[in-house]
Amino acid sequence: MTTQQNPTRYVEVIQAQLQSVLGNIPVYALMNRNYATEGSGFVTWQLRNVHQPVYTGTTQSVKGIDRPTFQISVFAQRANAALTISNTILQSLHGYSGMYGGSGGIYVAKTDILWLYNSYDDKLGLYQIFLDATIDIPT
Amino acid sequence: MALPNKVLPGFSAALYCQPTSSPTPLTTSALSTVASVAAIAVSGNLLPVEAIPAFGQDDAVASFAIAGSRQSDKIPVQAAPTSMTITAAWNPADSQLLLMREDAKSGVIDRTFVISATDGTNIVYYAFNGRVGEFKIDSAPGAEAKCIFSVHPRGNQYGWSNNA
Repeated sequence: MTTQQNPTRYVEVIQAQLQSVLGNIPVYALMNRNYATEGSGFVTWQLRNVHQPVYTGTTQSVKGIDRPTFQISVFAQRANAALTISNTILQSLHGYSGMYGGSGGIYVAKTDILWLYNSYDDKLGLYQIFLDATIDIPT
Repeated sequence: MALPNKVLPGFSAALYCQPTSSPTPLTTSALSTVASVAAIAVSGNLLPVEAIPAFGQDDAVASFAIAGSRQSDKIPVQAAPTSMTITAAWNPADSQLLLMREDAKSGVIDRTFVISATDGTNIVYYAFNGRVGEFKIDSAPGAEAKCIFSVHPRGNQYGWSNNA
C-alpha cells in the first residue's frame, strides 16, 4: 500500500535543490526564456512523467513508487558557460541520493541525469543544453 | 446478486489473506460459503500485489499404456489447486507482507487466501488454504523493490463462491 504523492511538493523541492546546487546562477521554473538576458547563463526546468504504476485490484492505494522526470534547460551567451553549468549539475546531482529541498524536503533515493543535447539559438543569441533528471521517490 | 456477468479486466482481481500470525483456516465447506469468504476479502487484509497469477486447478492426468495397444489413455484425475508465485511492491512494514514473510519462515502455517474479481456490483471469490513456500526481495534498481512469494495450496481445500 502506498500513498499518491503530491506534485506540488516535487515542484517546490526541485526548485530549491537546483538553486542550492547552482548558487548564483538563476533558476526559473517555466519562465519565458525570451526575456532572460543573464550573460553568465541561467537555468529553467519543467516537470513531467509524474506517475506511480497502479497494480491490481480496485483498491486505489496499491501502487509503486514515483519516478518523475524534470527537464533542465541551460542557457548562456557563451558555450563554455553553458557547458560549465551543465557539468555543475552532473557533478552534483547525477547519482545523488538524499534530500531535495533541504531537511524539510523530499528524500530522493536516486537522481539519474541524462545529458540530452546542446544547441544554439541565433535569434536569442544563447547556447542551450538540455538534460533530463529522473528521480526515484520512496512512498 | 449473482456472478459478475461480464468479461472482466484482469485488473479487477485482488488478493486477500487471513490476518494474524496463527490463523485458523476455513473449513473446506466454508471455503465455498460466501459469508465466510467475504469476511476475509476486506481492505485490511489486502495483499498489495502487482498482478494475480494464474489461479484455479492444475492439469493432472494419469497416462496408461498397455503393451500392444495402439494408443495410451489419458485419464484426468483430481487436480490440485495451482501454486501461485506472487510479486508485490515491497513495503518492509506492510502488515500483510510481514505475515507472508513469517509464514515462509515457518513453512507450516495454513492460512486462507481469497481472490476476488468484481464487475463493480457482483463479486466472484476463489478461496483456498495454503502455505507460503518462498519469500524473496528483488531490488533491481530501475523501479520499486519487489517482494516475491509463493503460495502452495493444500490439496482439496479450495472453493468458489459469489455474493449471490
